Amino acid sequence: MRAPSFNLLSWLIAIAALLALPWLVTSDYYVNIASQVVIAAILALSLNLLIGFGGMISLGHAAYLGVAAYLSIYLTAHAGFGHLAGALIAIGATTVLAMLFGYLALRASGLGFLMITLALGQILWGVAYRWASLTGGDNGLGGLKRPHPFGLNLMDPAIFYYFALAFFGIALWCIARFVQSALGQSLQGTRDQPRRMRALGYNVWLIQWLSFVFAGFWGSVAGLLYAYYHQFVSPQTLHLTTSAETLLMVIAGGTGTLLGPVVGAALVVILKNVVSAYITRWLILLGVIFVVIVLFMPEGLVPGITRWVRSLRSRPRADKAADTPSIAKDSAR
Amino acid sequence: MTTPVLEVTGLYRFFGGLPAVRDVSMRIPAGERRLLLGPNGAGKTTFFNLIAGDFPPSQGEIRIFGQNVTRKSANQRTHLGMARTYQIITLFSKNTLLHNVVISLVGLREIRFNPWSDLRRQTPLWDEARATLALVGLEHLADRTVAETSYGERRRLEIAMALAQKPKLLLLDEPLAGLSADERQDVQRLLQSIPRDVTIVMIEHDMDVALAFADVITVMQHGQVVVEGSRADVVADPRTREVYLGH
Ligand SMILES: Nc1ncnc2c1ncn2[C@@H]1O[C@H](COP(=O)(O)OP(=O)(O)OP(=O)(O)O)[C@@H](O)[C@H]1O
Ligand SMILES: [Mg+2]
Repeated sequence: MRAPSFNLLSWLIAIAALLALPWLVTSDYYVNIASQVVIAAILALSLNLLIGFGGMISLGHAAYLGVAAYLSIYLTAHAGFGHLAGALIAIGATTVLAMLFGYLALRASGLGFLMITLALGQILWGVAYRWASLTGGDNGLGGLKRPHPFGLNLMDPAIFYYFALAFFGIALWCIARFVQSALGQSLQGTRDQPRRMRALGYNVWLIQWLSFVFAGFWGSVAGLLYAYYHQFVSPQTLHLTTSAETLLMVIAGGTGTLLGPVVGAALVVILKNVVSAYITRWLILLGVIFVVIVLFMPEGLVPGITRWVRSLRSRPRADKAADTPSIAKDSAR
Repeated sequence: MTTPVLEVTGLYRFFGGLPAVRDVSMRIPAGERRLLLGPNGAGKTTFFNLIAGDFPPSQGEIRIFGQNVTRKSANQRTHLGMARTYQIITLFSKNTLLHNVVISLVGLREIRFNPWSDLRRQTPLWDEARATLALVGLEHLADRTVAETSYGERRRLEIAMALAQKPKLLLLDEPLAGLSADERQDVQRLLQSIPRDVTIVMIEHDMDVALAFADVITVMQHGQVVVEGSRADVVADPRTREVYLGH
C-alpha cells in the first residue's frame, strides 16, 4: 500500500506540470500537441468506462467524437447558431444518439456488442461521406471560428490548451467520482459477474446502458473540443481507424485504471505528431510499440509500470514476499 | 388459507429437446424448511434457476408471495424478497469479502443508481456488511480478497451475501458441498439460527444434514418429482430408496 501523502504529492506534481506546460515547452507546436493529447485523453477516458470498467469492448467510439464535431461546426458555421447554443445542441444531440446506439448495441454482449458498435460507427462514416450537401462529403466541413468564452482568445495556443485542460479536469473528476460511486461499482460488478448482479437485484442492462450514455456524453465533449481545435471535421474523424486508435490508447495505457487512458492518449498523439514528422511509416512504429506493451505489460503501461516499481521497491525485502497466505485456487465460475 | 411463499405449477424447462425440469408443481408455505433431494442431473439447480429467473420456463407458472413472476426478470424477483446462493461459487474474486457483501446490500437500495457519491463513504453500509460477515464467522477476514480465502470461507460468503439482503425466501444450492466436518457443523448451526419467518428451500446431498434440517422433503429424478412428504414418509417410501439411497 502506498502512503496517501505520496499519492497527494504525485497528484500535485502532475497538476503543476500540466499547468506549467506552456512555459516548459515554449514552442506553440508542442503546446498544440498538448491540446490534442488532452482532447484525446477525454475520449479515451470515456471509452475506458465501457472497456475497462464495463467490460464492453466498443469499436465505434469515434461516433460521438465525430457527430459532436460535425454538429457543432454545422450549427455554428453553417446554420447561424451561436457558439453556446451550437455547443449545447451538439452535445445534447450526440448524447441522445448514444442513448439510441446503446439501446441497439446492448441487445448483444461480447463480440456481438463489438460488431454492432462497429457497424453503427461505419454507418455514420458512410452518411458523412455520402450526404455531401450537409457534410461536405470527402472535403469535410470547416469554417468554424473558435469562440471567445469570457473574452478568452482561444486562437492563442496556450489559452486554448488551458481551455481544453479545464474540460479534461472536469471530465477526469466526474469519471473518477463515477467509478467510485455505487453506480460505477455496480458497472464493475456487471463486468465480473453479470448473473450474480441480476440475482442481487441489479438491472444489469440499465446499468450498462446508463454507463454507455455517460461515456457517449464525454465522447461528445471531446468532439466539441476537437471541432474547436481543428476547426474542421471530415469523414476520417468518424472512421473505424479513429475508434481503433482510441481503443489502442485505452489498452496501451491500461484498461480499468483512471490514468491509463490518459497515458495511452499521450503516447499515441505524440507518436502520431512528432514521430510522423521523421518516420513516414509511423503506424508501423506504433504497431511495434503496441506489440511490445502487450507482450511485456499485458495489463497496459500504467498498471505494468506500477507493478514494476513495486517489485523494484520490495526486492531488498524479498523474504517478505513469502508471507502472503497460500492462495486457494479460484474456483470455477 | 394463507398464500404460499412459493407456488410452482406445471413447470417445464427443455435444453435442446431434453427436459431438465418436467412437470414440477410445488407449494411451499411461509416458514417451511424444504429440502430438494435427488441424484446428479436430476434438475434441482435448473429448478432453482427457473425460480430465480435466470431463464424463463418452457411452460408453467411461478408465483412468489402470491405474485405471478413467470415473466419477471431475475432482479425484479430479488426485490420481492428472494435471495439465493450458487452451487458453483459466483463471487467478485478480486474484491474484499466486505466489498462483496456491500455489493449485495446496495443491490436492494436506491443508492445503486447514484453516479456521484463515493460508495466507500457510505459508512452504515460497510458497518452492516461487517455485521453480516460476523454472523457467518468471517469478520476477521473482512478485508481479504475472495481470491485469498479458502473454499469453505467462500461458501460462507455466498450465504452471507444472501442473508445480507434479509430475504423472506432463501434458496440454498448445496451450501455444505465440499466443506470439512467442522465447517459443516458451523454452517449447519448458522442455518438453524435463521429466523423462522424466512422460508428456506435447500438442495443437499448429505442425508443426515438434510433430515435434521427439513420439514418437508421433495425427491427429484429425471426432472420430475418422485416423492414428496414429511421426513418420515419420504424415508420410508421405497421409491426414495430406489432413486436416492440406491444411487
Ligand atoms: N444451461 C444449460 N444448458 C444445457 N443443459 C443444461 C443446462 N443446465 C442444466 N442442464 C442439464 O440439465 C440437467 C439437470 O441439471 P441440473 O444442474 O439442474 O442438475 P442437478 O440436479 O442440480 O445436479 P447436481 O446434483 O449435479 O447439481 C442436466 O442433464 C444438465 O446437463
Ligand atoms: Mg445442482
